[in-house]
Amino acid sequence: MQVAQKKFLIRFVAALGAFYLLVAIQPMNDRVVVPFTELLVRVSTVLLAALGERTQSFGTIIQSPVFAVDVKNGCNGIEAALLLVAAMLAFPASAKQRMLGIVTGLALIQGVNLFRIVSLFWLGVHHRDAFELFHAAVWQTALILLAVGIFLAWSRRAGGGGRAEARG
Amino acid sequence: MVGLALWWAATPAYNRLLAGFAEGLIRAVERPRATRLYAEERRVVIDRADFPSTSDRPSLPADDLTFDVILFLALAATTPGLFRDRAARGTLVSLAILFALHVLALIASVESFYATRLGAWSAAHYGAFTRNLWATATHFWRFVGCYAAAFLLWWFLVRSTASPAPSGRSSSPAASAGGPSRASRRRGKA
Repeated sequence: MQVAQKKFLIRFVAALGAFYLLVAIQPMNDRVVVPFTELLVRVSTVLLAALGERTQSFGTIIQSPVFAVDVKNGCNGIEAALLLVAAMLAFPASAKQRMLGIVTGLALIQGVNLFRIVSLFWLGVHHRDAFELFHAAVWQTALILLAVGIFLAWSRRAGGGGRAEARG
Repeated sequence: MVGLALWWAATPAYNRLLAGFAEGLIRAVERPRATRLYAEERRVVIDRADFPSTSDRPSLPADDLTFDVILFLALAATTPGLFRDRAARGTLVSLAILFALHVLALIASVESFYATRLGAWSAAHYGAFTRNLWATATHFWRFVGCYAAAFLLWWFLVRSTASPAPSGRSSSPAASAGGPSRASRRRGKA
């Protein structure tokens, strides 16, 4: 393994570990993660209502007369966001490129994650048999693939910026 | 989709293998040797010699521990030159490492169950530090660790060996880190 590869690996693992500890501690969870998840739930409820579903939100719960889900960590896109940010911070690039990549990437991930929540609820209402497979495996994998895809696309563009930083 | 279908179909058999390895490792270090693990479809059942014979046996969802295989296979499938010698070897090595990590994740899940879910027995056998250690290890794996493992194995053992080789004189740290070299980007545009 080359030195740059080792650096990428060490930075990635360190950043991921640090971010994990940050979101795992109770005050951060209560003050940032849960309110953010509640916001996702409220937006999802509005989108579901636009699709004709009779839904209400209570905290992190979306409920209709026939189905309800509690959106928790793992369904709020934070895990994909942590991976993306850790990879972008670990990869050699300029600060500007990183910032642009992180902001764009997080927006894309959360946009797709909203679609995930809405589609999973819709599946739960109309195709309950398929819900668990899509919830546990399909959407989870798709979101991480999206994060990896964003990182790959970004790293192609950011590759040149890394040289300047490495020299500086 | 092929990765998903493979994982879905192979999971019951894979869980049996996983339970066998994890049980062996747990029993190698525990005294008395009481743990029995066996797979029931998509779950792994925890049995202990000292559980009351009339009580229900707890079980863990194994899908949560192993579905990163889909992510790895999907990433591998997107890799050009996957079937070249080094990349194919990297894929096999990655799958072996993923299996080892799944065994460790199952062990952590079982220990976390012992440490946090058995009331007075947990408190008597696990201190605060070990309780937190096992619970954190389990949560970390399920939350981000499984994805990070699949991504890193693909990035270092598959992608970097399958990508077109750089010119040999490239000094780009991005290329060295596993990112695209200038040469490969030029080839990609052509």
